[in-house]
Amino acid sequence: MSLSSLLTTAMATVVSATASVSATVPDPAMVPASVTAAASAAASTQCTPTSLTDLGHLLQVLGTFLGLSLFSLGGGNTLLSEYQHISVHQFCWLSPSQFADLYALAEAAPGPSSMLVGLLGLGAAWPEGPWWALLSGYGAELAILLPSTLVMVAACLSWNRLRHSPWRIAFERGLGPITLGILFEVGIKILHTADTNAAGVMVSLVVCVLMLRSRISPLWFMAFAGVLGGLGVINR
Amino acid sequence: MNEQPPSHRDLFIGMLQVALSAFGGGLSAWSQRIVVEQRGWLSNEEFLTGLTVARLFPGPNQINMAVYIGTAFHGLSGALVAMAGMLLVPFTLLMLLGVAYFSFHTLPAVDRVLAGVVAAAAGMALSMGFKILDQYWKDPVALLLAAATFVAMEFFHVRLVPVVLIAGPLAMAWYWPRSAKSQGQP
Repeated sequence: MSLSSLLTTAMATVVSATASVSATVPDPAMVPASVTAAASAAASTQCTPTSLTDLGHLLQVLGTFLGLSLFSLGGGNTLLSEYQHISVHQFCWLSPSQFADLYALAEAAPGPSSMLVGLLGLGAAWPEGPWWALLSGYGAELAILLPSTLVMVAACLSWNRLRHSPWRIAFERGLGPITLGILFEVGIKILHTADTNAAGVMVSLVVCVLMLRSRISPLWFMAFAGVLGGLGVINR
Repeated sequence: MNEQPPSHRDLFIGMLQVALSAFGGGLSAWSQRIVVEQRGWLSNEEFLTGLTVARLFPGPNQINMAVYIGTAFHGLSGALVAMAGMLLVPFTLLMLLGVAYFSFHTLPAVDRVLAGVVAAAAGMALSMGFKILDQYWKDPVALLLAAATFVAMEFFHVRLVPVVLIAGPLAMAWYWPRSAKSQGQP
């Protein structure tokens, strides 16, 4: 457990102990009953989330992603299995299939796929109502981007000195193979989290090959697989 | 290279334009077209250097590229403005999509379609490792490092942070440029 997550958990405990109990109860007018029921059902089958106030949740989300930012090697995809662990097993923000859904949404939507973090933040605070959830989503994205952005700015400003530094060369060559190993683990983890039937796994494998061998836009694969899902060929 | 450096406002609008143009994909290509060819903010060489730096350091590549462009003209504040321009529209759209998801994902029809989409997305995730495998194919040490990393995480459930903190320095030591001194001498 990283120092920052320890800190935020401690802070969150203090906040939840001192804040009024009424804050923990979501406003029934804002949250559809079916969703709340589904969310609590999903959570109870996985693990029990620590009871937090909305502010406690927000701090937990921010601290988690601030601490991970500098480990987003290889364009950020190396963090995917860490995200899965944190949001599904550690804090019980999401069920495994919800995580897989959000990953697919982030891949399908325009823009960098690392915006998944915003969706995780949204999911983490969804029980507290959509407005808190949106705040948490924007906060999560800012938290994951802020430390890496500061490092990037420093790197840009000193690039002429860094360019030929042995540290730069060793960093680039050394972390490449580690990124490779992590990405394979991430692929297996996402496949496992998707947890579809045999037809679904076949589709995953075919998409994997086509991603490597063709230049077809991945949106076509998602649309086609979505139709197969709608027809009931792929299910989970 | 050109008469006047872009203002903060120009940076924001330029990056917004890149983000909107790239809605069908190909963000990097659009970025080059707009920043180098249309607006003439960077030379092609500067742009390619930016891609190198963006890939090297932590953070999403496209966001890092926006940070590089912003920093080149206005330091930290330029970086933040460029990043905001790049993210604002796509991220807000994604958040709305997320709200729709959490409101409706329990509907059976939505869940069925998503099960299919998830299968395709898993295939995309699976391809990421294979995509960069080629560059390491002829380096047995790299393959060994990758395999050790994979085994530690997949079978011994070691988390990402300790893996990077332990394997990172070891790998850096192995790949430390030994001939740097002799090359550096005139």
